[in-house]
Amino acid sequence: MSDATDTDEQPPALPGDGLREGIIDDLRNRIGDAIVDTHITPNDDLWIRVQTDAWRQTAEALKAAGFTFFSFISGLDWMPSPYGKGEDDPTAEPKEPDTEIRQGVTGGDTRFQVFARLVDLDRHVGVTIKADVPDEPFAVESWTTVFAGANWHERECHEMFGIGFNGHPDLRNMYLPTDFEGYPLRKDFPLLARMIKPWPGIVDVEPMPVQDEAPDDAPAVEDGAS
Amino acid sequence: MTNLSDRQQLSYIASQAADARLNVELETEGMTLNIGPQHPATHGTLRIICRLDGEQVIWAEPSAGYMHRGYEKLTEVRTFPQVTTLVNRIDWLGSFANEVPFILASEKLMGVEAPPRAQVIRTILFELSRIANVSLFLGDLGVQMGAITPVFLAFRDREYVLNLIEGATGGRFHPNFDRIGGLKDDLPKGWIDETRQTMVKLRKFCDIIEDLLFGNEIFQSRMRGIGIIPADVAKDYGLSGANLRASGVDYDLRRDQDIALSYDMADWKVWTHPDGDSFARCWIRLQETRESCKIVEQLLDQIPAGPIMTKVPRIIKVPEGEAWVSTENPLGEMGYYVVSKGDLGPFRVKIRSASFNNISIVPWALKGVYVPDIITILASLYFILGDIDR
Amino acid sequence: MGLVDRGRMPAPLTKLFNMSRSYSLWVYQWGLACCAIEMGAAFGSPRYDVMRLGVIPLPASPRQADFVCISGTVTDKMAPAVRRLWEQMPEPKYAISMGSCANCGGPYWDSYSVTKGVDQIIPIDVYIPGCPPRPEALLEGVVLLQQRIKNEDMAAKWRGDEFTTQQATRERERVAAAPAVQAPTTPDREPIVVGGGPIE
Repeated sequence: MSDATDTDEQPPALPGDGLREGIIDDLRNRIGDAIVDTHITPNDDLWIRVQTDAWRQTAEALKAAGFTFFSFISGLDWMPSPYGKGEDDPTAEPKEPDTEIRQGVTGGDTRFQVFARLVDLDRHVGVTIKADVPDEPFAVESWTTVFAGANWHERECHEMFGIGFNGHPDLRNMYLPTDFEGYPLRKDFPLLARMIKPWPGIVDVEPMPVQDEAPDDAPAVEDGAS
Repeated sequence: MTNLSDRQQLSYIASQAADARLNVELETEGMTLNIGPQHPATHGTLRIICRLDGEQVIWAEPSAGYMHRGYEKLTEVRTFPQVTTLVNRIDWLGSFANEVPFILASEKLMGVEAPPRAQVIRTILFELSRIANVSLFLGDLGVQMGAITPVFLAFRDREYVLNLIEGATGGRFHPNFDRIGGLKDDLPKGWIDETRQTMVKLRKFCDIIEDLLFGNEIFQSRMRGIGIIPADVAKDYGLSGANLRASGVDYDLRRDQDIALSYDMADWKVWTHPDGDSFARCWIRLQETRESCKIVEQLLDQIPAGPIMTKVPRIIKVPEGEAWVSTENPLGEMGYYVVSKGDLGPFRVKIRSASFNNISIVPWALKGVYVPDIITILASLYFILGDIDR
Repeated sequence: MGLVDRGRMPAPLTKLFNMSRSYSLWVYQWGLACCAIEMGAAFGSPRYDVMRLGVIPLPASPRQADFVCISGTVTDKMAPAVRRLWEQMPEPKYAISMGSCANCGGPYWDSYSVTKGVDQIIPIDVYIPGCPPRPEALLEGVVLLQQRIKNEDMAAKWRGDEFTTQQATRERERVAAAPAVQAPTTPDREPIVVGGGPIE
């Protein structure tokens, strides 16, 4: 697919490609070492991971650099779900669930991350910013002083993951009733309907067909027809 | 503001003070008005709690969540085609438009691109769903103000577009037609001619609505100068779509980004408006409907021959990675951030829905307006509850 | 009327009342989600006009409505409002559940915030499956409700019983009036025990 372009390497000169490197350099001038990792898909998209205590500073720096359009803030839980989908064949052996936490693009050190997206409307480029959320204290800074629209997004992120936002004026539930227990979007929050009764339409997974060849598990036809 | 003499200013202050005293004595200040969650004017189950001072709003707080169905959690336990089915129902008026950014993000992760024929038909269906969505908006605009007739016209004309979508995809709503790698099926015979005729009817509908509503002096006086949102506030809150363009910002994702839809094959215009008031937002949507008709007519002439789907395996496992795609949906900018771990289904999908940001500005926009203006400002911001609450 | 005290209604009067009730229904549209648009198309659009069935779509308040058409997903946050709405409606009242979200939770059957079926909250008379059901399907549901109303025994409702058809009332009266039937006492026949026990 697309390879991660290291900022030291010069990608082949494509129109607009120097744009994203230029954005990273500009940000580095403003916030220095807080940038932990970056990832560019050429002509396509840009990811930046920053240190947790530079979360709000990054927003201010990017807003000053021209990224004035606030898109969203949300969270990521990188732990694989221990419950699966409830669609496994109940007569088969239960598979060992995968417990390795692998963060995605631009890596990470913690199970939870916050990520946000800002867009520069004049240069038509967007950037996804990520930051780790430490286990203790389980909070990051709030963006409400920088972008007023972050208010609702942080409320939603808080009620779905439990991530605190320091400096948020009013961190209460957005969607869920006030007496809801638990944080739904965490992977260890089970969907009870799936656990009580397994899904009756269990999908029989065939192996992926090799390109341009018949699948291996085609039923053997005994009567000589091809 | 006209210049007031000192004497006039003093008498104004004195009268205000007298009113304040009266307010305190009668305790007329601070009535809490609860609009919704079931109310004919709110487009669904949105509850707005307003604190009023007489007829003016002191603060207003929308209380969402009455239609929260837990989409982001549900996508984690479904396969990619199942998520496509589910995601149709977020913006339930223009439902094909919801599938497209998700499919584009998954295609980006898989590294496939739909064949040109599929891209053009996808764009046509996308624009048809925009027309279906916004035509109901135009009809509903009258209902918010007490004019019931336009909504009957809107439903009637919307039926023509839904017939088209049903003819191509099999479903009036929730077509579930997009697939990773292309579309499910090709167009039926005679569909292109019927679409051309329907676009003529839709243009006539736009003209009728402009005549009935937009020229009406009641409409003008209730919409002009009300709910002005300046451009920097709009960008701060992340308003998108017609709301952003009504504040003068020239940004349209169809033109300003390079994704696998065929907008560059048609010659069309992006409409902006310098005021940021309710009238501007409604007017832009009307013009955009006409523009969509134009796009559809041009694209119909240019559908290339070819396959409708690239070669993808029958059971799709999207390779590991993260991708973000957003498109200019009828309500605004809708985007999907798809995280995949190489499974049959996504690992996490963040749905950036347009109405969530559009409504987050309501506490700011409703400060100090009168009660009837609450409804018209909400009407002009145009949201769908499924889009706010996901 | 003395009829109410006696708990009986002459059949022609029942038939007349039921027919007039079923053709003069006022429906409260509790439109929540996508099905609300199809309900709007069925009730408010000129093509699938519901008024030709005698049903008028827009009452001023639930207290003036005959039946409620719940269309769309009911979430746990919304459920108390639905219950309160149901209690505000005066008898005789009916409910139609439109769409698969209202029937059973629908595509969100495994969600943490969706009520799996509005019949957990209020009693439903007609279920209309579909996602969303076509407006013609909703009209068929209304027609079925009208047939149900025509078969209803109004006296039972006045007594405060649950929905009872006229046939069921007649059956119950016939059984109550018939002489008690002796259980068979032939000694060499053991009753069959379902699920166990010796069977010869």
